[in-house]
Amino acid sequence: MASADKTINTDVPEKDVFAIHFLQSLSNLRIQNLFNSPDTTNYRVRKIKKAAYVSMARAAGGTSRLWSRALLRRAAKGNNKIVRFPRRKRKVTWKISSKRRRSDQRAPVVEDAAERLRNLVPGGGGMETSKLMEETAHYIKCLSMQVKVMQCLVDGLSPK
Amino acid sequence: MNRAIEADLLLNYNTDMSVLERQRAHLKYLNPGFDSPLAGFFSDSSMINGGVIDGFLGTDGLNLPMIYGDTTVEGDPRLSISPETMIGTGNFKKRKFDTETKDCDGKKKKIMMMNREDEVEEEEDEKSKLTEQNNGSTRSIKKMKNKAKKEENSYSSDSSKVTIQKTDYIHVRARRGQATDSHSIAERVRREKISERMKFLQDLVPGCDKITGKAGMLDEIINYVQSLQRQIEFLSMKLAVVNPRPDFDMDDIFAKEVASSTPMTVVPSPEMVNSGYSHEMVNSGYSNEMVSSGYLHFNPMQQVDTTSSDPLSSCFNNGQAPSMWDSHVQNLYGSLGV
Repeated sequence: MASADKTINTDVPEKDVFAIHFLQSLSNLRIQNLFNSPDTTNYRVRKIKKAAYVSMARAAGGTSRLWSRALLRRAAKGNNKIVRFPRRKRKVTWKISSKRRRSDQRAPVVEDAAERLRNLVPGGGGMETSKLMEETAHYIKCLSMQVKVMQCLVDGLSPK
Repeated sequence: MNRAIEADLLLNYNTDMSVLERQRAHLKYLNPGFDSPLAGFFSDSSMINGGVIDGFLGTDGLNLPMIYGDTTVEGDPRLSISPETMIGTGNFKKRKFDTETKDCDGKKKKIMMMNREDEVEEEEDEKSKLTEQNNGSTRSIKKMKNKAKKEENSYSSDSSKVTIQKTDYIHVRARRGQATDSHSIAERVRREKISERMKFLQDLVPGCDKITGKAGMLDEIINYVQSLQRQIEFLSMKLAVVNPRPDFDMDDIFAKEVASSTPMTVVPSPEMVNSGYSHEMVNSGYSNEMVSSGYLHFNPMQQVDTTSSDPLSSCFNNGQAPSMWDSHVQNLYGSLGV
């Protein structure tokens, strides 16, 4: 559906790409011996959630999308071993869009909704509203794909 | 020859030269024996504007023929400035392309403007100065050299020959009856971009077609994103709770892997799996197989539980790439034991 639109490209890989990435990340988690004796389930939950987001970002195209790049960057801040975030050779400056100063004047209805959206979508802080909506579209597609994958996994693994 | 004279004429212009004087100069150029009294006919600015709605373009319709001096003469009754007002010139020059634009309705002036840009580029500055003088509003030159937003086919074929602009701005044509301020044009472009993307999002988000209005739709989109994120969190909680499978058998898994791994001739290093998040591997088509086989080599201890993983593979499969996928899926699931 997305490929019909010439200007906006929001093609998302197939479900198995997401699945493989997620499974890899989960098995990686397992290698870390998390599941043998975690103290609390919360720790596991957080790890799994982070793994889900990171694998989704990688499956969605790694650093070629603004939101996935921001997500990976955020995830790679603390740990240097687990999440690898390749730095680009040429410096990419992420300046806060200067047009946002004036954005309150422009259709304030749209703009405060855009503000809320910026808090939700990773990397939204540096984007103009139109770019933000493109990223949101791709993000929504990837999120729904990831949800499907995880749902399948849960269904398959849960005891009958 | 013509152009040389025109260029000379224009070079002598000052911005503070009144329109009247300029027109006189034009008329003199066009008709050497022209009497100045008739130039007074044009002194009234209202006459110059010709009472058109779109004042910006209307003045062009008057002034430009005198500047550019096209030699083709055609009747153009749609021009609001009737030829009678151009008595002095006697030769109200029409543009050659007017015949092509006969079918288009209210955009004639713009189209004339457009094609004129084809011919003369160096006189844009003067053009803009003239119009600024006439209308008193500032407009960037670039906005004048605009592509029409609505184009007919015949016209669009002409516009495709428009010479390359010096800047690579996105040019917008002011629509008829709308403000031609540069800011408002940019604003309008931006708004249209946003509404175009909103339409796109509307198709994505289920249940958004009933809602009209930007605010409601945006709220809906935000809710949808939030619900998806919550779903992911919920599912990860569920995954964390699922118990690992107890049975492990090394031989079985190798047998399975060897049986199905015929196309997997590449033996990747274990390092590839551990740093399996390397960006390059994502994009290659065969990387999936590579990774999973490498994973298998690296982790021989895990077991494939075929019975329980069948529903998994079926749910992931959905009829795609059956056999290869099955083996990978089984291997990975078994090794998970999450």
